Amino acid sequence: MPKLVLKFEAAVLKEVPVGAQPVTIGRAPDNDVQIDNLAVSSHHAKVYAEESRLVIEDLNSLNGTFVNNQRVQRVTLKQSDQILIGKHHLVVDMGGTVEAPAIPERKVSAPKVEETMVLDTKKRKELLAQAMGAAGAATTGQEKTQQLADGKPPRQRFASLVLVSGSTDQREYLLSGKLAVIGKSEMATIKLRGWFKPKAAAQISKRDDGYYIGPADKTPTVNGAPVSHPTKLNEGDLIEVAGVRLNFVYKD
Amino acid sequence: MHIQVGARTDLGRKRGNNEDSFKLVPELNLFILSDGMGGEAHGEIASNIAVETIAAHCSEGVKNKSVPLLAEARPELTEKTNRLVSAIHAANHEIYDSAVKHPAQRGMGATVVSIWLNETRLSVAHVGDSRCYLLRAGELLQLTQDHSLVAEQLRRGIITREQAEKSDMQSVLIRALGIEPDVQVDADEQLLMDGDILVLCSDGLSRMVSDVEIASTLLTAPEMQGAAERLVELANEYGGEDNVSVVLVKVEPTPAGFFWRLWRWLNKPLNS
Repeated sequence: MPKLVLKFEAAVLKEVPVGAQPVTIGRAPDNDVQIDNLAVSSHHAKVYAEESRLVIEDLNSLNGTFVNNQRVQRVTLKQSDQILIGKHHLVVDMGGTVEAPAIPERKVSAPKVEETMVLDTKKRKELLAQAMGAAGAATTGQEKTQQLADGKPPRQRFASLVLVSGSTDQREYLLSGKLAVIGKSEMATIKLRGWFKPKAAAQISKRDDGYYIGPADKTPTVNGAPVSHPTKLNEGDLIEVAGVRLNFVYKD
Repeated sequence: MHIQVGARTDLGRKRGNNEDSFKLVPELNLFILSDGMGGEAHGEIASNIAVETIAAHCSEGVKNKSVPLLAEARPELTEKTNRLVSAIHAANHEIYDSAVKHPAQRGMGATVVSIWLNETRLSVAHVGDSRCYLLRAGELLQLTQDHSLVAEQLRRGIITREQAEKSDMQSVLIRALGIEPDVQVDADEQLLMDGDILVLCSDGLSRMVSDVEIASTLLTAPEMQGAAERLVELANEYGGEDNVSVVLVKVEPTPAGFFWRLWRWLNKPLNS
């Protein structure tokens, strides 16, 4: 079955099979191949099978559709043709036979479920695996460190806060908890000493990908810069809040 | 700590019975909401078992700290959070056992979302697609991840956000209480600040009313009970496809003046 390989520069983004239904390309979300780029019109072009041929047709796009660097309105495609739409390339792969292409499975077919249903472990794994197969090649973007359906998160290193200046109940704190609070409250992890210290000056959350410091009653600074939203901490960062300075370090 | 609570549950416009339950335990600062499922009235039974069991187990745990935890304690979580997780395991067993004893109840289950407030620390634990949101400084944050098939597919990059919104399978869950002998409970801890509003709700609210409208309703409501009723009203106005329940907990600002603090300090026992 023929397919289009969507690429951006050297990166392969997606492989789109072309079967009985036409493949639409454009910026709007209802396209089969959605390219979110200003140089691409909302409905830019379409590719479809006609008799035993693969055809591309420009849908009156603003910037045009190019095949092998020539602007086209409607042409037959052949193996390895390079389609250029905006800055994205689609390479034609005829896939062997062009006859009778099968209907591609683009969606996971399932009946509409009105009532709440719960999948048991086996069905859940099956359905998630099936869905991954239908989606085709991996999409672009960062490699997510995904956990397995019921796997545990990867082993983590713990970090510590070392007191540099100011008055707290300890000189060093191992950040083993999910939430560490710097403040005067009984519940605080790093207890501040002194008059008029806030109940919770700042907070540090331990997430799967590291530690994040965020404001509470006060806005902490990290290496001198104020932090108004949860921000990831790096080895050696100097945190200052409510008259206390702490060094963030990883311990082995 | 001072809190203001509002809560409301409603049948909605399309359903024959209400399978949602909630339980408020203000003396413990513990709040639980559950959405049941299963034919006949079994959803009601399941969600009721869930909220009652969790409240009972947490109460007991507070009175007697040596009551064993039903799940391995997670070292990164506090005692209260671990106790809440244990309570949810207890609820899972109760629902599962009930279905074993009464075969007609087979397949019944429930979601649960629960919060336990402790001064500056909030424990949140949940299973399923009932949600907990935090409204702080005008911003509404979803604190829980939905345990639905569609949400999982979205998280893994299998489908896009548009596909998720149009999906036919939005009510298919990958985790719920009572379905299997064991369950994986998600738990988290957050900082609590004065002025925070916590929202617990079943999917009957989150599917009908957008986050933006939930936030604006909370920001413009003078008090929590009125806000809870208004949210339920909105869900029904937009179709009321399912039972809708919401629990609102507002952390009231405590007086922070110098003289109030001085008074408190002067009144503290000498040896504390």
